[in-house]
Amino acid sequence: MTSHTTLHRTISFTPDAKLAPPENSSMSSTTKTGRRRRSSSIIYQEPPETVEQISDQAVNPNLNSQWVNAKGAWTIHPVIIIGLKIFFDIIPGVTQEISWTLTNITYMTGSYLMFHWVRGVPFEFNAGAYDHLNMWEQIDNGDQYTPAKKFLLTVPIVLFLLSTHYTHYDLTYFIINFLALMAVVIPKLPLAHRMRFAPFSGAPPDD
Amino acid sequence: MTTASNLTSASDYFSAQTLTLLNSLSEQLHKIPGSGIFLRYVKSSYQNDPIRSAVELFLVLFAIRYLLAREYSTKPGKVRLTEEEIDDLIDEWQPEPLVTKTTPFEDADLEKRAIIVGPTGPKSRLANGRTVTNLASYNFYNLVSNEQLKERAIQTLRTYGVGPCGPPGFYGTQDVHMKIEADIAAFLGTTACIIYAQAFSTASSVIPAFSKRGDIIVADKAVNYSIRKGLQISRSQVRWFEHGDMADLERVLSRMQKEQAAKKQLTRRFIVTEGLFENTGDMVDLPKIIELKLKYKFRLLLDETWSFGVLGRTGRGVTEHQHVDAAEVDMIIGSMAGPLSAAGGFCAGSDEVVEHQRLSAAAYTFSAALPAMSAVTASETLMMLQTQPDMIAALRENVRAMWQQLDPRSDWIVCTSAVENPIMMLVFKQEVIASKRLGLEDQLGLLQEIVDECLAQGVLVTRAKALSAAASGAKSDVYTHRPALKVCMTNGLSRKEVEKAGTTIRHAITKIMTRKR
Repeated sequence: MTSHTTLHRTISFTPDAKLAPPENSSMSSTTKTGRRRRSSSIIYQEPPETVEQISDQAVNPNLNSQWVNAKGAWTIHPVIIIGLKIFFDIIPGVTQEISWTLTNITYMTGSYLMFHWVRGVPFEFNAGAYDHLNMWEQIDNGDQYTPAKKFLLTVPIVLFLLSTHYTHYDLTYFIINFLALMAVVIPKLPLAHRMRFAPFSGAPPDD
Repeated sequence: MTTASNLTSASDYFSAQTLTLLNSLSEQLHKIPGSGIFLRYVKSSYQNDPIRSAVELFLVLFAIRYLLAREYSTKPGKVRLTEEEIDDLIDEWQPEPLVTKTTPFEDADLEKRAIIVGPTGPKSRLANGRTVTNLASYNFYNLVSNEQLKERAIQTLRTYGVGPCGPPGFYGTQDVHMKIEADIAAFLGTTACIIYAQAFSTASSVIPAFSKRGDIIVADKAVNYSIRKGLQISRSQVRWFEHGDMADLERVLSRMQKEQAAKKQLTRRFIVTEGLFENTGDMVDLPKIIELKLKYKFRLLLDETWSFGVLGRTGRGVTEHQHVDAAEVDMIIGSMAGPLSAAGGFCAGSDEVVEHQRLSAAAYTFSAALPAMSAVTASETLMMLQTQPDMIAALRENVRAMWQQLDPRSDWIVCTSAVENPIMMLVFKQEVIASKRLGLEDQLGLLQEIVDECLAQGVLVTRAKALSAAASGAKSDVYTHRPALKVCMTNGLSRKEVEKAGTTIRHAITKIMTRKR
């Protein structure tokens, strides 16, 4: 019986959204655009888009991120994992533990690169409106806990549990797999939405 | 004593209850097929490593919690409303009018506006029956009354029909379009040229085709509305420099160069300016800009809407007038609708520049092509410009005659246009504004009265009308247009008629300015 609308005036409700945690830096000054510019922070929040960017984003559906909801985009993940496992099994001299660990690491690296490292859109249809967002933040327009995101988070965890089983709970392999898992799970948390870590993604842009 | 025993018996009772509950639960669990294997696996996975098991358990619980969490949006401003609230909001909503109510000034302007009946020309007939000297239409070479052009146009209309029925990229290109493109490229001295169907949308389409978000544009503050729109659409960073001030331009260019070097960026950089400015009428200093562009490695986009066909010995534009090679300018935008009296616009440049626009320019790909009639008219006019250069000389003579009547001899106005510009922008002198303390509104009112007085005396002139920066969607007001009177010279009047018209205008100005208020 309820529906969503974007409102600017008379009736105001506290939005039912989990807001980002307060920025944790000491030095901040407000520039003309209202963007808090921290000169010495290593974790900063990506600023909200300007009106022009929002209207550019609304022009077309975001083809770069829409496909995760399409047919086959979910089944391809187990298919890729099985393919990787077979590939690593074929190499002579690779034990089961190593092959599971390699599968795990390869899959985590690939999905990190694809969803969290690369920013922007590979096509030229909206004048660069998504230039500062990585693919995870573009999926479903930034909504959290959507079905696609739930699936994409569950797959690495299941893969990790499988790999710990097959490496017979050895500590070294466990640590390697666990670090790979953390690298993929932490950026997917709602906490990390639009959070940028300066050593990885460079200093905050000036404008 | 009884209470203590009651309590202990109560706690015993509860613990007994929970035990039986747990027992029944485990019995149920054991009944599920495969639960034995599952429980055995979990037991064996412990492997005497509590931390690791705890980590795995935490992961599983986290995954379950994530799977069960509810979806929400991170976009600000999303609120949930009930049906009644939505209905209330719809009931209270009042649509904003599409067109705002006119001010009294605008109303007066609309009432007194002259309406021309029939074709426009140097002597035009108005709706109220009078015939006036028309110095308000862009009719520089009086081509509107050229019979030969009319014959050609009618002939083309009979052969090709009215419209091309499609965008240029989709069966809308005809041989006349390719001919006019080749003609303009050969005339200007560039490698190639592309035609647009509307002159006004040419600049707004060329600029975003090349400059995107993240690129840098340095533009003159007095550029016209269509360039401003192009800058806004392109989403590039725009830096303004003072109108006609080359020192300021150099300062802005060097600052941009330093900023880019500091950030180690390499983006596209453009300088955008006009040949003859639509708002002020004066000319650009092209050799100096070329020098700066080569020094700071920018590309130059020159809008020759009002200078192509007007400047230079044969009308090639500001490049011929200031002896600059047209290949030095990266993109020359021009109009065939103004001086050439045809329709449409063009962009001339190198092969790559032109070919890129065939797919990326919005007005080329998404608009219908130019009608064949206009393309042929433009070709003919171009031919006339080349074969009859005395046409241009005669226009310059008329402009000079008008200048003599107005600029040095009037106490109230100066002309800010270049001396070769047939569009003369007359503004009030600074000392007049200062002594009479005229605000913008006062100047506009006075100019409107001057226009009315000139019309009463049989000369049709107009005010320069421009959209404010706010209307064009700009975030800040970089440039305020000076209120000006616009006089558009034409070849179709003899020298005597020009002098007479000039005298009329001068007397009208004096009369209005010296009138007791």
